[in-house]
Amino acid sequence: MQSKEEIFGWVTEVLTREFEFNASELRPTTHLIDDLDLDSIDAVDMAVRLEEKTGFRFGEEELRSVETIQDVVDLIHDHA
Amino acid sequence: MTTRSGPEADGDPSGRWTRVAERGSLFGMRITVWCYRTFGRRVCLALAHVVVTYFFLTDRTGRAASRDYLARIWSDPRGRRVLGRRPGAWQSFLHYRAFALAIVDRLAIWSGEIDAIDFDAHGIELVDRLAEEGRGALVIGAHLGSFDAMRLLAERKNTVVNVLMFTDHAQRINRIFRELAPNASARVIAVEPGSVHSVFEIRACLARGELVAILGDRLEAGDRGRTSRVLFLGSPVELPQAPFLLAHLLGYPVFLMLALRVGTNRYVVHAEKLADRVRLSRNTREKDASELLTTYAARLEHYCLEAPYQWFNFFDYWGDASSS
Repeated sequence: MQSKEEIFGWVTEVLTREFEFNASELRPTTHLIDDLDLDSIDAVDMAVRLEEKTGFRFGEEELRSVETIQDVVDLIHDHA
Repeated sequence: MTTRSGPEADGDPSGRWTRVAERGSLFGMRITVWCYRTFGRRVCLALAHVVVTYFFLTDRTGRAASRDYLARIWSDPRGRRVLGRRPGAWQSFLHYRAFALAIVDRLAIWSGEIDAIDFDAHGIELVDRLAEEGRGALVIGAHLGSFDAMRLLAERKNTVVNVLMFTDHAQRINRIFRELAPNASARVIAVEPGSVHSVFEIRACLARGELVAILGDRLEAGDRGRTSRVLFLGSPVELPQAPFLLAHLLGYPVFLMLALRVGTNRYVVHAEKLADRVRLSRNTREKDASELLTTYAARLEHYCLEAPYQWFNFFDYWGDASSS
């Protein structure tokens, strides 16, 4: 079972590598749409990369429901 | 407003018949294949000529679209050589007739007559190599020549072809395909726009070494906002970014594949690699996608000029762009 810290590390790694964000601007409370301006293609992109990393497969509803990085971390953690 | 994308085209009587004929309404698929099996190729060929002649005579908008398209072909020296003379009503009729020939060939393929079509060897080595390596790839096709013939060739090489469609009827279509041709491996995958589930499903196909094909020359309802405006036969058109977005997401190479009819029951398959690894950077996505689609449009144009009558988009393809 991965800790939430580790999962947070994966999520930020994906966001920095794939979307060229600065790790320093990524916090658990960071909002994916309001702060990072991710659109639906980016969301699918993120889901695919995270699945490669964690094996967790987002469902449609789950992907639509996440708002912050913490939501993503919790979701993956709870399904692990 | 253009009449190219799904919902608009539904209200457009000129676009409808080709769409119905090409996608094969589910009932139509059964009935035409039954006809082919019962009465044979000659009768179907005659019937197809009657149907196409009827549409040629009554479908004023489609005829105008055909004339517009052929005029664009004529304005290029390569197209001029193939057409031979300035396009008029006769050339438009030949354009419609090519559609009849394509439909009958398609019926042969749907009927499971896998030996009905011969292929010239050109470009097949790429398909061969993909099959040997068992490596998945995305394939962009077009409404130029026969998509089914392309699929048939890949199947002969034991490569599974999945066809992406924006449809609610994927399961029913697949069932009919299995009924008609139990040995064929083609499968329709329904795509929901922006759906992560579709992407996972597509990735699973690619990971099994299958081909995932998508027709790249028409917009669907789900493409809204994900298009690039590129030059094609003299005027700009909007093309869907979806094939390249998928390639970017999934990391598989992208091929252009077209099967052009070169004689009775004879096709030549052209396969070209468009990109080995698509990388659409977040900041330059629009520009990157537009460059890739420019390449696609240029290659498509090349093949339109080679086989001008096999372009099966009988609607105002350029929309407002042609009048501006």
